[in-house]
Amino acid sequence: MNINQELIERYHRDECTKEERTAVEDWLFADDFAEELDLPIGENKAEHKTSIWNEIAPTLPKDRITKNHSFSFWKGAVAASLVFGLLGIGFYQFTLKTKNDSPQFVSVDNTSAINVKHLDANGYNISVGPNTFAKINYTTGTVDLSGSMLISPKKDVELRFKGSNEKISLKMGQTYIILNGKTGEDKIIVVSERNLMDLPPVLQKQITNQFSI
Amino acid sequence: MQEQKIYQSAKKAILLLASLIISFCYYSCSQKPDNSNALVNKKYSMYILGKDGKEYIIETNSLESGKILPEKQGAILDAKAMDRDIIVKNGSYYHLNRKKATLSKYNLQNDSLNSTASIPLKDFSIENYFWLGADSLLLTGLDIKGFKQAKYVVIEAKKMKLISSGNLAIPRPSGKFTSMSIGFVELRKNHLFLGYTYHQQLSPSNYTTSDTTYIAELRYPQMNLLKIDKDTRSTYPGGINTVQSYSFNDEHNNYYFMSCPGIALGNRPDLPTGIFRIKAREEHLDKDYFINISSSLINNHAYGLWYLGNNKAIIRSERKDLFKGLSDHYSTAHFEFYLIDLAEAKVLKKLNLPLDKGTRRECVIVKDNVAYIAVNSSTQGNFIWIYNIQTGSLKKGLELAGNTDFIMRIDNLNP
Repeated sequence: MNINQELIERYHRDECTKEERTAVEDWLFADDFAEELDLPIGENKAEHKTSIWNEIAPTLPKDRITKNHSFSFWKGAVAASLVFGLLGIGFYQFTLKTKNDSPQFVSVDNTSAINVKHLDANGYNISVGPNTFAKINYTTGTVDLSGSMLISPKKDVELRFKGSNEKISLKMGQTYIILNGKTGEDKIIVVSERNLMDLPPVLQKQITNQFSI
Repeated sequence: MQEQKIYQSAKKAILLLASLIISFCYYSCSQKPDNSNALVNKKYSMYILGKDGKEYIIETNSLESGKILPEKQGAILDAKAMDRDIIVKNGSYYHLNRKKATLSKYNLQNDSLNSTASIPLKDFSIENYFWLGADSLLLTGLDIKGFKQAKYVVIEAKKMKLISSGNLAIPRPSGKFTSMSIGFVELRKNHLFLGYTYHQQLSPSNYTTSDTTYIAELRYPQMNLLKIDKDTRSTYPGGINTVQSYSFNDEHNNYYFMSCPGIALGNRPDLPTGIFRIKAREEHLDKDYFINISSSLINNHAYGLWYLGNNKAIIRSERKDLFKGLSDHYSTAHFEFYLIDLAEAKVLKKLNLPLDKGTRRECVIVKDNVAYIAVNSSTQGNFIWIYNIQTGSLKKGLELAGNTDFIMRIDNLNP
């Protein structure tokens, strides 16, 4: 059976048939990795490896990293890397398709109705919510967003959001929740994650569910 | 000779060490009971959000005066496990950890907040709590996947044991409505009243609420639905009462609750914020009673309602001329406190307090003839203000300084 992103997503949503479930599990826990991932031409494999590792390392329990170098742990890590790798490739393929993009741009179109995409992009950690389009221009500090995202800048930055004239200051290390509708009538909402409980409960529930925070 | 000297000094050292150890043991043994006694007896608790994002709980015996630095006197909280949506009773804190799906009971011991017992609470988002008895806690909530199914659990709080649980026969959102909210719970003998309404998600950053306040009447403890009462004078009855209070019973068992259609809760700013009543011994809304807050001298929406006694209450209202939207609603100082006369059904006056910040906060404790009001002012600091209910005088009490950014809540530890 062909293991692809869609199948893995369905596996996590618990929507697989018994047969599909077994195939995914066999693939995840297989000792050999015959199905190597093909990266687009010009992509550096080592770079992807490091960025993927950097992204998953902080979410792993520390004691398991330091104490438990068991075989099963590495199997899990490799499986996770493959999942992230697939998502990452999806993202890169998208950006490669967009002709106007330069290294100063990052854009992501998360068409999944449930899953969140995580990126460790130039200067920001970003999680893009379901049904969300986000485009960030690093040079001008402008963001075009329709949907929801979490952003955590690696240094203090000022961003300007499309549809709003105001510059918004984001502090290093803090996570911000940004929500914007698809129409111009919707006001953009930017709040620090620590003030999540100040948002209306209807929006809070939507965010905590989407991003599992 | 030399050998003997060494031997003697070693002996001395051992003796000295032994006496040190004994005195240390004695000291620590005699200290322990004192400490725990002092901790058990504290009267009030404060939940602080620091300027650097750290959160603290501080317990104290007096809110009257002095200065507290949370980074020195507070217990620092694990931000992943704790948040300010808590239930405080008999010196314990109850909090639902959404991610772990566990309801835990905490106590402050030796400067840290420790979990003493917990119970799994799967697929449950708390909307409102109600103490059925001294030790019996009713939680009403919704499923966490869609926020469509009203549910309940009853817990024996002392042992953290599940007594009963199930779904509530309240109609799920239908038609254009996508989710719902439960805003208050009140028990009268064997009749349970639940205020609720429905929401429609319009976009990732926008939603709206039905124009109707619903009140379901259920038989307790069977939990079967008896009837549903509707009212369109205002919508979004109450709110999540683990974060802020929106209802109470007066001395004669008349039940009052506030509706909150403002942008911070219902997002139906076209409808007025109002105070409703269910009279004592009655089982439906008092159709002749409604305090229209938005058309009063306040001329704004309000969130948060606290009873002072003798038909007087305090509400916390926003100032739409001072904030721009939801992004600065919590960080801008724009909240005012007003005194309400419930018998006359009118707004009496604004309390002479600095503008307060924080969208939703549990910030009033009423004790005897005094209301302690926590105010986060951008210009005058974070203080507990002391309002004398009889004379109407106001003065500054305890100051929360140092790392304090917001006093998020103040609680009576033994309500």
